Formats: sequence, structure tokens, C-alpha cells
Amino acid sequence: MQPTSSMKEEFLQKWQMGLQIYRPLIDNTSVSERMKAIKLSADVAMASLRRGTTCWSRALIQKTATEDNFLVRQMLSGIKAETLINKKLPKVMCHRKIVRRSKKILRRRKSRSAIEEVAAKARKLVNKKTQGLRNVVPGGEFMSNDVLLIQETLDYIVSLQTQVNVMRSIVDAAEAGSER
Amino acid sequence: MSNRRSRQSSSAPRISDDQIIDLVTKLRQILPEIGQRRRSDKVSASKVLQETCNYIRNLNKEVDNLSERLAQLLESVGEDSPEAAVIRSLLM
Repeated sequence: MQPTSSMKEEFLQKWQMGLQIYRPLIDNTSVSERMKAIKLSADVAMASLRRGTTCWSRALIQKTATEDNFLVRQMLSGIKAETLINKKLPKVMCHRKIVRRSKKILRRRKSRSAIEEVAAKARKLVNKKTQGLRNVVPGGEFMSNDVLLIQETLDYIVSLQTQVNVMRSIVDAAEAGSER
Repeated sequence: MSNRRSRQSSSAPRISDDQIIDLVTKLRQILPEIGQRRRSDKVSASKVLQETCNYIRNLNKEVDNLSERLAQLLESVGEDSPEAAVIRSLLM
């Protein structure tokens, strides 16, 4: 799956809308505040493409809402903003301490052949990397289901590519336009 | 929820080999470098996952970088300059 032109168009529209909301403030703020505003608008624009159908996009909207509630509400007005912002994310499914303890007990009971050892190590490594994935995908900590995690990751990547694609074109064009 | 705890840790679906193959196929389309790797899926599964993490981190860094460049652009153009007009027409 690739970023489609309709995705890019919709992202651009929403991002522009977000920047318009900041317009009155943009002329009077510091560069770092502006940067934050630009990034937050871009993130909400990207997340709203999914209209609440994916876990990562809901998590990203919630996260952005904690940083700028007003912006998120404005940008999402008309797309059931309230439910997206207030929607309770599921509690963490995997209680790590308990899993760790039960794994320890299991380990003491089993004795393994060499092949099983290798397979177990490979499995352990995959699990470690999967956990790494949970740390970079928004809302990943709530996805104990690995299948879901993979699906969300793929969708998140395509959305990120859309975001980067459009932002890069705009910034390149703007920089070219302002060269003396 | 609490009485599902003991079931949860043993029945939470782990990534199966088929799913890894599926992921590798999809990521191959997105990350061209992966296509060069050996076909042994179990061995490269962790590599695929690692590459995916790295790729996501890099994309996020690029967004930050682009946001910063844009913020600085808006800073440096004068209010009434032609450059400001260009930027505003692109963005706002």
C-alpha cells in the first residue's frame, strides 16, 4: 500500500485548516512554539484521515489533545470530536509482573533440548523487537494482540509516509519560493 | 477484566510465521533494502521488526525537521514580502 493522492490531498486540506487556526498566533510567537503548532496540526491531520477506525489514530488524537485541546476540537469538529477525545482507551491488557512470574515458574519446570533452546531464543528476540514496535506506534502499549499490532503498524507507516510526503513538498516549495 | 488475566497471557495471539511472511512482503514494498535479505523468515523476523522500528523513528524525525524548517521560514520572511505571500498562499 502506498500513500494515494487522495490521502495526500485530504491531509493537506486538514493540515492547512489546522494552521489557519494558529494563524492569528503565528506572527507573535517563538520559532519553537510555531514548530510545535505546525507539528501538532500535521499529526491531527494525519490521524483524522482514519476517522477513528484505527487504534493508533485514536491514541495520537488523545495524545495531541492533552497538549492542545482547543486545536484538536477545532480540527475535528464535525467528525465526532467529543467521542474521539474522551473515548476511554482500554486498560493495559498484559500485566507484565504476572506474566514474568508465570514465565519464571514455567522455565524452572521445563528442561529443553538444544533445538528448543534455539527456537526459544529466536522467539524471545522476536518478542523483544515486537515490544520495541509497541513503543513507537501510538497506542501500542494497549495492543497485546500481536496481529493487531502489525496491522496498525502498517497503516501507521503509510500514514506517516503521506504526512512526510506532503510536508516535504510544501517546505521545499516554500524554501524555493523564498530564496533571493 | 481482572479475571481474564490468567487467560490473557497464554492466549494472546503471538505472531505466527505466516503473519511474519505477510509483514515481510508488505514491508518489502515499503522498505526496498529488505528485499535483498535471505529468505529465511524466522531468522530475519527480528531484523524486519527492527528495521520497521527504525523506519518509523526516522519518519518521525523527518516530520520534526520539516516542522522546524517551516517554522523558521515563517520567522524569517517579512510580513509584506513576496516570499510571505508565497508561503501564505501555499499554507493558509
